Amino acid sequence: MKQTRTDQRAVVITIAAVVAFLLCLCVAVILVFVPDRQTTEEPGAVVQVDVRSATLVIAHSPEKAALVKSLAERFNGAKQRTPDGQTMRIELIELTSEEMVNQALAGLNTYQAMTPDSSLWLDQLNRRWSQSQAGQSEPGAITSSLTGEPVRYAISPIVIAAWEDLARSLGWPDQPVSWSTLQERAQQDANFRWSHPSTAYASGLMATLAEFYAGAGVQRGLTAEMAQDPKTVEYVSAIEKSVKYYGEAELAVIQRVAQDRTALDAFVVSEQLVIAFNTGKFGNAAQSNKLVAIYPAEGSFWADHPLALLETPAVTDNQRRSFQAFREFLGGAETQKFIMEAGYRPTDLSISLTGEGSLFTAANGVDPRQPQTTLQLPTADVVQVVQNVWALTKRKTNVFLVVDTSGSMQGEKLSNAKVALRTFLAQIPSDQEKVGLVEFNTNVANIIELDVLAKNRAILNSSVDELSANGNTALLDGVRVAYGRLQQSAEPERINAIVAMTDGRENASMVSLRQLVGEIQADNRNLPVVIFCIAYGRDADYAVLQAIADASGGQVREGNEETIRELYKILSSYF
Amino acid sequence: MSLAPIIGALAVGLIALVLAIYFFAARSGQRTQAIFFLIVGLVLLVVGGALGWQRFSETNPAGPAPLVATPKGPIQIRILTALPVEPWVRDAARQFNEADFTQDGQPIEVQVTAIDGLTALGKFDRDDFGALGDRSRDQLTPAELTQLESTFPTVWIPDSRYLVELANASYKERIGRDVFLTDGEYRARPIAVSLFVWGIYQSRATVLEQKFGEINWSSIHDAAIAKGGWPELGGEKGWQYFKLVVPNPRRNAGGLAAMIAAAGEYYDRTNITVDDVMDPDFQKWLGELMGALTDVSGASAYTAEDFALFGYSAGDGGQLLESDLLNNMEGIRTRWSDPLVIRYPEYVTWFDFPYTVWVGPETTAAEKNAALQFQQYLLTPDIQRLAVQAGLRPVINEVNVTQGENLFTQWQAQGVEAVVPRTTRMASPSREVLLALLRWFDLNVGK
Repeated sequence: MKQTRTDQRAVVITIAAVVAFLLCLCVAVILVFVPDRQTTEEPGAVVQVDVRSATLVIAHSPEKAALVKSLAERFNGAKQRTPDGQTMRIELIELTSEEMVNQALAGLNTYQAMTPDSSLWLDQLNRRWSQSQAGQSEPGAITSSLTGEPVRYAISPIVIAAWEDLARSLGWPDQPVSWSTLQERAQQDANFRWSHPSTAYASGLMATLAEFYAGAGVQRGLTAEMAQDPKTVEYVSAIEKSVKYYGEAELAVIQRVAQDRTALDAFVVSEQLVIAFNTGKFGNAAQSNKLVAIYPAEGSFWADHPLALLETPAVTDNQRRSFQAFREFLGGAETQKFIMEAGYRPTDLSISLTGEGSLFTAANGVDPRQPQTTLQLPTADVVQVVQNVWALTKRKTNVFLVVDTSGSMQGEKLSNAKVALRTFLAQIPSDQEKVGLVEFNTNVANIIELDVLAKNRAILNSSVDELSANGNTALLDGVRVAYGRLQQSAEPERINAIVAMTDGRENASMVSLRQLVGEIQADNRNLPVVIFCIAYGRDADYAVLQAIADASGGQVREGNEETIRELYKILSSYF
Repeated sequence: MSLAPIIGALAVGLIALVLAIYFFAARSGQRTQAIFFLIVGLVLLVVGGALGWQRFSETNPAGPAPLVATPKGPIQIRILTALPVEPWVRDAARQFNEADFTQDGQPIEVQVTAIDGLTALGKFDRDDFGALGDRSRDQLTPAELTQLESTFPTVWIPDSRYLVELANASYKERIGRDVFLTDGEYRARPIAVSLFVWGIYQSRATVLEQKFGEINWSSIHDAAIAKGGWPELGGEKGWQYFKLVVPNPRRNAGGLAAMIAAAGEYYDRTNITVDDVMDPDFQKWLGELMGALTDVSGASAYTAEDFALFGYSAGDGGQLLESDLLNNMEGIRTRWSDPLVIRYPEYVTWFDFPYTVWVGPETTAAEKNAALQFQQYLLTPDIQRLAVQAGLRPVINEVNVTQGENLFTQWQAQGVEAVVPRTTRMASPSREVLLALLRWFDLNVGK
């Protein structure tokens, strides 16, 4: 018996020792043979980089998401390999051009290349990066760039898109139509609705620059002093007062007008979106409501979609090879034709814009011989001043946040919504904007009155922190209270808006939907209040929200726990 | 290599030996297990010892680092090349890589990175590539050595020889020696040449030549300051103001070359000094000229490619590199239905694209010799003919621009000349002149 036990113990020890040995051997093998990894420690992030990686992450601006996605899929489908056998691959992340600049400057290393909507963002990035480097901020210093040599694969002029009948009323196509024609029309006709994106987007920035040029009475040589001149500021303020609302980007604006022609009369977009619209790409009936591209007589700008590698130590040799291969792929004849079919002007100049089957036709509302001239793109410093002055002169906002805190919002849902609401407030930099908050559950539970953010910001943030969920859903009452407050404030020179969010079905309001819609339709004739509704989660009553939004000329957006923060961030750009 | 596998192997080996002893000492004398652990232990000790020897022999500080590196695959030749020659050099590199050239029995792989000459100079000035300085290769950590071997450029092809001289001056001040040789085996050698010429849309050129007779910096200046824009000059209203195209000196070495050429014509001489640049009258004149640039933001390098891409909307005409213009003539005609005409200026600025091998210890002898092989390849008649096809002028006698169909013969009717009609060549600017011009540009135009 004893002998047997001793034998068993020896066997157990042997097995344990062999297992331990094999484990150690595995660890050693992994350490020796797995590719070296370099750890890049940057402020706020530790990113592990496989030094053999041939996967290139590219940040792209939102308006060309569909194009870039298709291009990446085509490239990845070819499964090109590096000399050491790694598969070259492109991965994408969507960021606004402004976010790309900020993330690259923060050294987050979340992407190795970027393709914003305009080269001016690369200029801004390189200037700011250069200023952060010792000895490079002096005039005359030979500076370095964070980005490598950019390549362009698609270009598109920034145009004023207008409905054909309206364009004709402005003198198009026989008379030159300029930025000032549009601006004068907006000032003369209170019902004229036009919009441009905020200056975080190239098209918005270009439209704003054109206003400053017109205000300064020059077509070149715009200086910071001219941009800050009271006369210029007054001119720009007057024009901005006629903007219906700003928006997240040109793509969202054109999608909106595809659903509702009456949403806007004219808006600033890239030429390719006019072609896309007129060829029915947004689900609209092609040619039933035709848009035309107006190339402003005093000059336009170009969205030139550069692609540039970020020259950081984190970029591997193989990522560099992938970049080069992708760059060559973009310049290839087939790719360039594909790009042209998407409505962009290809950078391969051997491709004619007027050849057979070209989309660049009058029937599609565009003219390939245009633009005849461009406005001078000022220096990054002047652009920065224009952005800052615009933030002060832009049409101010009165906006109520209407927030559902019914029982169904409990847990993760409410905590994510709180983060989103704080993001919304943080995204509105000007303390002159007025923001209020209406919290509803079974009743209207709490009201933070509308006031300038200079006074209200801290109160709003702490109220958001204190939101707690219980009770039913009196959505209509919540919206009605906010709407009434905005009507009472009677400030037509400001954008008046409500951002209403709910995750459930209306079940507790005193007012009916029909009554509320009637009130909105009647009162909006005197003071328009735009209502943006957020259907938060699958259970939200989309139909009710749509009815409210439609009555006010607003829109409904769907969000969930993952997207709610981004959604509020996007909506903040409307103000 | 990390120490973990070495320590791991030795530790497990020792444990195995202890277990072997334990089984030997066991009362029942379990020999089978004891022998097993003895063998495993010994093997692991041998493996651990071998790994340790390899690890420590890597960092053995005995003597200077060998210039001939242990072959680890193809010899990598990393070339920083100026933008105007980049497509040609890249094509040549592709052919070279496919032709299986070797150095010391190892295949050679040429990698090409496009970078403007001035930007590269800035990188060399700031030592962005991580030159060794006073250190030798063996003093580098493994990570630093890997970084050096994977990123340090073997060859620089800037736009012009003067950029090499400026880089050398910077290094001489810092480490007391040249890093690019101007004579001997590794000397900087031009691989192709091109010059700055006027490129103007034909519709605009006709108006300007009618108004001023000749296109030169003086007539362009007058066009730039015309208060009534094109209608005042005799052109169409829709063209608005005269828009000048010269490369942005912040983004492209050609911008400085154009400003120097303008100064040459203004002073009617080839040598420009800092005093010339600082002269208030000249600065006023140059300021008026540069005020007609369409893009002063630095967002674009403003090469001929941009000129072609954005057409007359972004520029009516300007001084650009002949090769860049030639490459875009067809595209301009296709895209804008208004061809370009070429005119040769009185004061000529040449770019000679010197092929410059880094001679410091950062690159190995094998890399330098492989780089020289590629240089020789670029100078072969076949590859020089490719250069002509790319709009560049050849640097060997066997090839010239009048042979066969090429961009020079194709665009003769638009003013392209095989022999440059005037040869008043601008002298290379000193570092001080260059910095004074950049400073002036930053303070008056670019900021």
